[in-house]
Amino acid sequence: MKQRKDQQPTHIAALLRASDRESLSSIMERAQVDAAALRPLLQAIDAAIYRELKSIADYIGFLRQEISALQPNDMRAKRIPSAGQELSAIVHATEAAGNAIMERAEAVMSADASNLAAYKTFVTEQMTAIFEACSFQDLTGQRIAKVVETLQQIETRVARFADATRANDANGFANDTEAAAAERKVRLYIHGPPLAGDGMEQSEVDELIEDKTKGASQEDIDKLFS
Amino acid sequence: MSAHVEMPILIVDDYKTMIRIIRNLLKQLGFEDVDEAADGTEALTKMREKKYGLVISDWNMVPMTGYELLKVVRGDPGLTKTPFIMVTAESKTENVIAAKKAGVNNYIVKPFNAQTLKSKIDAVFSE
Repeated sequence: MKQRKDQQPTHIAALLRASDRESLSSIMERAQVDAAALRPLLQAIDAAIYRELKSIADYIGFLRQEISALQPNDMRAKRIPSAGQELSAIVHATEAAGNAIMERAEAVMSADASNLAAYKTFVTEQMTAIFEACSFQDLTGQRIAKVVETLQQIETRVARFADATRANDANGFANDTEAAAAERKVRLYIHGPPLAGDGMEQSEVDELIEDKTKGASQEDIDKLFS
Repeated sequence: MSAHVEMPILIVDDYKTMIRIIRNLLKQLGFEDVDEAADGTEALTKMREKKYGLVISDWNMVPMTGYELLKVVRGDPGLTKTPFIMVTAESKTENVIAAKKAGVNNYIVKPFNAQTLKSKIDAVFSE
């Protein structure tokens, strides 16, 4: 079927228009010259892309080695759960010791002291039991040392990984639970027990409470928050 | 102190050993009617069932903290006048100020001794 000229693709139309001025063979020759001139450029681009891909592949290999050196599976499956178990054992041991000590102390405080000799024997027994209960510190000390050792191992590996990869810390949280916990701590002023010198002493708290009781203005309070 | 020893006291703490310590100290001061709750939610339920003369609360508990409990208590017309002492390891300035703004009567930093607890209870009842 014969097409009308205005329905043909525009590039064919352009070619036909060009053919009005020069022959098809001269166009082909010029195309060959242009292609030959572009060959070195295309080869250079190929080499650059190859080098770039090789560099990426090498870096991926390097990262895999570094991640292996981090031993993440060992950390996740063994070291961190083990540290958690040690800490849990410490909590149970201190709680059990605290209860044992308090039971003995309560027994002494409520004991009948009318018979002095019997009372003395009873108090001695209770004090001995309190000394025994205090031995929990030896075991918990050893458990804490194991946890500290684990944390140091993890710290060493993570530090090596961060140095090797020159990684920058991303903002945000690992998951929604972590984000919600952080938000709760900020909103409800939860810091936990401070280290020595980091929190207020009772006398300083008393001054603050008494100052406000004596009528500090809202402006004074706001200044402390700003 | 003797005029108040008959009143019920509610201790709110998620650490049973601390509850036991405070209960023993209160016993030494003559207080016998002492109840306990493990967090703010449980404390509120008990406070709506029984009228307490004093609440002694920890700060950091789950799900409801002592700070949240204090704010709910001060916002509840039936509970708002209940004396409230915070006993906590939270000792940052912002904690004390936030508690004071929320209407706490006194604030004790852990660890504390019997004398501190006694003096703060005395101070609350002398207001």
